[in-house]
Amino acid sequence: MSYVFPKWSNKLPLQIVIYLLVLGGTVTAGVTYYCTPKYLRVGYAPVQPVPYDHSLHAGQLGMDCRYCHSNVDQSGFANIPTAQTCMNCHSLVKPQSPLLAVVRASYQTGEPVPWVQIHKTPDYVYFNHAIHVNRGISCVECHGKINEMPVVYHAQSLSMRFCLDCHRAPENRLRAPQDVYHLESPTLVAGGRTAQAAEMIRDWRIKAPDTCNACHR
Amino acid sequence: MKRKLEHPAPSARELHGPRYWRSLDELLETPGFRSYLEREFPEGASTVEGVDRRQFFKLMAASFALGGIGLAGCRRPEAYIMPYGKSVEEVKDGMPLYFATAMPLRRVATPLVAETFQGRPTKLEGNPSYLPHGGAGSLISQASLLDLYDPDRAKEHLRDGAPLAAADLNDLLASLSRNYTAKRGAGLAFLAESSSSLTRAALVARLKAAMPEAIWAEYEPVADDPPIEGARLAFGRDVKPVYHFAPARRIVSLDHDFLRAEAASLTYARDFARGRRVSGPEEADHMNRLYMAESGLTITGAMADHRLRIASSHVPALAAALAGRVLGTDAYARMATGLDVKPEWIAECAADLLAHRGESLVTAGPHQPAAVHALAYLMNAALGNFGRTIDFVAVEAEAVASIADLAGAIRAGAVKTLIILGGNPAYNAPADLDWPALQKSVAEVVRYGYYVDETSAVASPSRVHIAGTHYLESWGDARAADGTIVPIQPMILPLFDGTNELTLLARLLGDDVSDPYTLVYRTITKLTSGDPEKAFRQFLFEGLLPGTAWAPVAGLAPRPDAGAGIIAAAPKAEEVSARSLEVRLVPDHKIDDGRFANNGWLQECPDPITRLAWDNAILVSPRLGRELGILPHSAGVVQVARTETSDWDRGRDVAHVGVLRVGDRTIRGPIQIQPGLANYTVVVALGYGRTHSGRAGNGAGFNAYALRTSAAMHTVAGATLQVVAGEWYQLANTQEHWSMEGREIVREANVDEFKRNPAFVAAIGLEQHSPPYDAASAKLPLAEKAAEIPRGNSLYVTPRFDGVHQWGMSIDLNTCIGCQACVVACQAENNVPIVGKDQVVRGREMHWIRIDRYYSDGRIAPGAFGGAENHEIPEDPQVSIEPMACQQCELAPCETVCPVNATVHDGEGLNLMVYNRCVGTRYCANNCPYKVRRFNFFDWNKRATDALYMGPLGHQKQMPELLQMVQNPEVTVRMRGVMEKCTYCIQRIENARIRHTVEATQAGRPGDVVIPDGTFQTACQQVCPVEAIVFGNLLDPESRVVKAKAQPRTYSVLGYLNTRPRTTYLGRLRNPNPRMPDYSDLPLSRVEYNLKTYHSREGEAAAPGAGPGEKR
Repeated sequence: MSYVFPKWSNKLPLQIVIYLLVLGGTVTAGVTYYCTPKYLRVGYAPVQPVPYDHSLHAGQLGMDCRYCHSNVDQSGFANIPTAQTCMNCHSLVKPQSPLLAVVRASYQTGEPVPWVQIHKTPDYVYFNHAIHVNRGISCVECHGKINEMPVVYHAQSLSMRFCLDCHRAPENRLRAPQDVYHLESPTLVAGGRTAQAAEMIRDWRIKAPDTCNACHR
Repeated sequence: MKRKLEHPAPSARELHGPRYWRSLDELLETPGFRSYLEREFPEGASTVEGVDRRQFFKLMAASFALGGIGLAGCRRPEAYIMPYGKSVEEVKDGMPLYFATAMPLRRVATPLVAETFQGRPTKLEGNPSYLPHGGAGSLISQASLLDLYDPDRAKEHLRDGAPLAAADLNDLLASLSRNYTAKRGAGLAFLAESSSSLTRAALVARLKAAMPEAIWAEYEPVADDPPIEGARLAFGRDVKPVYHFAPARRIVSLDHDFLRAEAASLTYARDFARGRRVSGPEEADHMNRLYMAESGLTITGAMADHRLRIASSHVPALAAALAGRVLGTDAYARMATGLDVKPEWIAECAADLLAHRGESLVTAGPHQPAAVHALAYLMNAALGNFGRTIDFVAVEAEAVASIADLAGAIRAGAVKTLIILGGNPAYNAPADLDWPALQKSVAEVVRYGYYVDETSAVASPSRVHIAGTHYLESWGDARAADGTIVPIQPMILPLFDGTNELTLLARLLGDDVSDPYTLVYRTITKLTSGDPEKAFRQFLFEGLLPGTAWAPVAGLAPRPDAGAGIIAAAPKAEEVSARSLEVRLVPDHKIDDGRFANNGWLQECPDPITRLAWDNAILVSPRLGRELGILPHSAGVVQVARTETSDWDRGRDVAHVGVLRVGDRTIRGPIQIQPGLANYTVVVALGYGRTHSGRAGNGAGFNAYALRTSAAMHTVAGATLQVVAGEWYQLANTQEHWSMEGREIVREANVDEFKRNPAFVAAIGLEQHSPPYDAASAKLPLAEKAAEIPRGNSLYVTPRFDGVHQWGMSIDLNTCIGCQACVVACQAENNVPIVGKDQVVRGREMHWIRIDRYYSDGRIAPGAFGGAENHEIPEDPQVSIEPMACQQCELAPCETVCPVNATVHDGEGLNLMVYNRCVGTRYCANNCPYKVRRFNFFDWNKRATDALYMGPLGHQKQMPELLQMVQNPEVTVRMRGVMEKCTYCIQRIENARIRHTVEATQAGRPGDVVIPDGTFQTACQQVCPVEAIVFGNLLDPESRVVKAKAQPRTYSVLGYLNTRPRTTYLGRLRNPNPRMPDYSDLPLSRVEYNLKTYHSREGEAAAPGAGPGEKR
């Protein structure tokens, strides 16, 4: 009786196993790298209807974030300014600039300027700006150095992991309350004031919740 | 060693004992019901029906194909943020704004506060500035929000069915105004709804002056105010009573459902609860006692301490007999003849009233004849109740024609143009008028209405439909129940081309100013002093005009000849028997007279007593049911309301169809046996059977207006009921679902026992027999106990309860009236979807809170179950009501079985439900002893209820825009395949926490992170008219919830399971009069509990806390 299978087929099971391991590993690695917000979302910088330059306004001119995002310390949403807010200055500064035509039209007609949303949490996530900025978490933690961005881009992954990293160890991300809107300021820990961070956690009774209800309702 | 608590399975002997039962089938233990009980979900609830495997794969293949096409665009879609062009005052993105407004209904408006997100109203709550309501709301006022977003409402003006432009409408109104002003109104007639708007009254007065020959008629199908004739008989004056239930310690209600059916019911319910609430035994003597005589079973009757079943047409005789006793006269003896009531009942009731002079109250239902009201007034006068528990306010005599007068004028050909303002006469006018034919005979009909309904559909030679606006889209004013003037403030511009009624009247007057804001502004500022702009702003801010409540009439005394007048006016008592039934036509608990028929929230909300959703039924007493042959006499396999066992096999309520006949008028509908009815009174709810209502209202129930004539609007005598052989109708009965097998769910005691043993709840129930896991912590203060979790060596690890709050709730069963307001409030707050009748039948309703209603009659023989003994359906049960939502167990059984940790605890004791983790195994629902978890079998929000099974292939691909607008943006809209349940309104907790912490930090108190008690309320707590629900922080010793839970009546439902629920209940008290013939020294549910637990009546004496046996 002849052999049905050639001799090399003895190695086939091992080869299949190795092949599957490599394939599985590649797919896993691929998914973990490519199918995460870190890859898919960081760097997203859509073209906006008005080429608003944060590096000019917030950086060079040193405007406070809250001049335009005026409700950020009261509301869950950091509001996008109305055209009227822009016109407070731009009725005097560069009043005829063609780049601002959309804003002027919006101010006159009331039609909104369609700003493209960059930072977006899923519908089932309820992020609240007010509680963060009031409790020593700076804008820069999630949005990056906006004051250096001519065009705003998605700087952090904003994945659930990203949120939890901070919620599980908030002391590393705290700033002194007066530094929250100073995007260049270091965190307390980075500035070598670890003791002050611990004190703030204790005195302010900061307990960043890490249970589901913190964000999901 | 691991201790294991044996779940005490009911022994055969126990099963033979009596117990609570929720439905007749449960009581009778039909074979179908037994098999139903053994299932996890009602039949069909967990299977896809009508789809076999092959079809399923076909559908799935199509879905995958679609998915493949969709994959091409897997980049994130571009989203836009649209800021305002100009900044809007007060608007902060993401922050709701609250405005005062009011919901008008007939002559009374409910003051409300509307929550709006960017101008979009999403929730209505009671206005706390209006003290008689104290921020509470009613079922209908909660649900009226949905009407604003009703896709079936009239969206444009129509002339003969074709669209009519707004400018053309204005021309039409102007020409009507010119023509009829010239003719002094001859040939013009109006038919309007009643209203308390001062602005409308002023416009109508001017209209009458300008067109004196025009007919102004008003019609309301439902009476929610006592008839003025009653006051005329008693006092000779036009006054109406205002009851004060809070100080009343003895209340006699003569067929008066004052907790529901009065215009001022919200105030009355609140006051009644105030007189009933007892925090400790020392207050027990102040608890009120309610005697109720009624024909149907209402929520008021369910609260009664002594309930007398009596035909409505015999109530005048009862009133006369009672008045004879109270007034000490036999003048009314002739009126009281033919009364089939134990004389002791009347004598002892009267004696109790006389023993409580000045703190008693006798009331009569609005549908009762004037003589009954007059007698009630005389009794109150004799008892010295005037100025204490009852006041009278003057009522202006109105020069308003009735619908019958108008019908006469139409028949005489005197009406050329008929203007119908609201209402729906073609549907609900008395049947003897034959209104559709009358309306057809009028040359020109102009109809103003919110819906293009039956009245708009009547084909008269020339017809115009003017689309109305919702009260949340237009200005108005109204009066609240006590007469206080309240604003109706719009929250949003009209969503469609609608017109306001005030504008319409102003245009008919030919006024230049027809803008409703200006009209209301002028009316109100005339009543205020000082700067009108400022005064009007204050009026809108407060939501009421202080000091405008009606002043009580002083020095009112009965006229000396009142007695003779009453006897002359008294109706002859009709014979009520099986051959000559009495029919009570009652406004529906939910959809009222039919005007809310297209409101899905209300349609799906189960009736508090019948537990039917989406339908009405011909309610018959068990005795009548037996005589009709739909309830067999014999024992054995006893079936209720159906004959074959298989009818119950599917876990659904399939009812016999009957024909109810009065003379030559008939109605046809399903028959439901309802314990507690007077033997030969048939109760039928009005408002159903609409044909031009919309997708929710059309086809729901049957129209009972067909039986209603001008002569007999509320009670029809001489009816016969015939069962149609072989015809069945499927009812969506939510009462059969989630049965709890006869355990001590609602714990009750009489006041006497409560005084002896305040902690009576501890003596009832299995906890007293089971070894406590928490013996060590049982004595701990509540705050420590909440944080200390004995896990009993469980492998499942719950988080440490180390939060700064520990949330808990207490529900007082002593004051809960079962009005269902919390059900709809929760639905509005938490984006709970509507599932439709078909799905309710399958047991898939989504309400997060339900109101369980149990019956007990205490007469069941110990051998009833499984044996042949005593299979009688109780005719006169006591009703126990219990709201049931997620109990937020500290040791939650649902959590241990979730394979994906989608339901877990947080550090503040909340049992969280995480939708984005849930994969829909439904293990949690299976393991929940309280059956309060709800599963999204479909994308209820995304799909149309008539095409659920088509899924994405159905006609509705996305959530309709109008439906999107009603959703609360603070709560996730759940998708298909996830479980959901009560969250203790977690969005309110989180928002309150954030707001408080932010405000405290900004105020320089960053360490103040504890939300003060009373900062926020859950939706059910907020709406509760009787303040039965208290929610708060268990760690705060001063919080209301800690004080409520400290009461000795506190108990946990199914506490022996050691689930340690955070929601606890306060046991119910009954306050019967020991001298009454129907006195039982234990509540009937306790009699049954003792019979079950101690196996015999003799055993009662041995039962802890129990007195001697029942005296029956």
